[in-house]
Amino acid sequence: MAAAEPGVGVAPPAEEPGSGPLCAVPLRLARLPLARVKALVKADPDVSLASQEAVFVLARATELFVETIAKDAYVYAQQGKRKTLQRKDLDNAIEAIDEFAFLEGTLD
Amino acid sequence: MPVTCGERSQCTVGEVGGERSGAGRAVRLAGPVVRLFPCSKMAERPEDLNLPNAVITRIIKEALPDGVNISKEARSAISRAASVFVLYATSCANNFAVKGKRKTLNAGDVLSAMEEMEFQRFISPLKETLEVYRREQKGKKEARKDKDKKTDSEEQDKSREEENDDDDDERMEEEEQNDDEEVDN
Repeated sequence: MAAAEPGVGVAPPAEEPGSGPLCAVPLRLARLPLARVKALVKADPDVSLASQEAVFVLARATELFVETIAKDAYVYAQQGKRKTLQRKDLDNAIEAIDEFAFLEGTLD
Repeated sequence: MPVTCGERSQCTVGEVGGERSGAGRAVRLAGPVVRLFPCSKMAERPEDLNLPNAVITRIIKEALPDGVNISKEARSAISRAASVFVLYATSCANNFAVKGKRKTLNAGDVLSAMEEMEFQRFISPLKETLEVYRREQKGKKEARKDKDKKTDSEEQDKSREEENDDDDDERMEEEEQNDDEEVDN
């Protein structure tokens, strides 16, 4: 099930979005379920253990990655005057952007 | 050399990445990805290595302007990309843990991996969220100590919170030690 674990996503009551220095931090800290991220981490035979914090930061980093790649791909959709993001937009972004080089050949 | 599995159309991940001019370094992800994705050696079902579609879709939609749609193929490719990202970041982070002679990946290793992977722009927002997360965990720990004397039913709720993962308790102890290390970082 894709439900977020109770407790993980709940910010301290004092914090509200838009107030304070951390207003950029979403109210729900991580939306990707940590258990699934942990399963991916554990799948690597070279990794013995990962701290809860490490899994959390990885989950959050992955969310940032998804946002980033979606936005970068969208640039190509816009160039094609489309309002629907398509697979080819993603392929273009991966080819053009160095940080996405690690994805080449993995998505087919 | 590419590893393709004819049995499942999803499972064609082989050697990842290549050398790109301008990147300054060859990006190879052969090890963990090749070991993980060949169908015959998959320790987990493919669904377990994927991230939930609904969440991925929500993150994508929130990142894009209103009214923009995403095709099923694009969404599914982004989801796969996210899994590959986790695997690659884990592998990178593990190198740092090994260098530090540690057996447990910590948050600092993941941040170092981001730097290594040229996602420096993630580092400062990640540090901020980590601080909030740590404060929240401290609050939860203290609340748990107070609640230890209460009824069993509440304890059952807590064990659900910890994903029924006994490892977490051990992890907590390691984190308390790691906290000292991380503060020095």
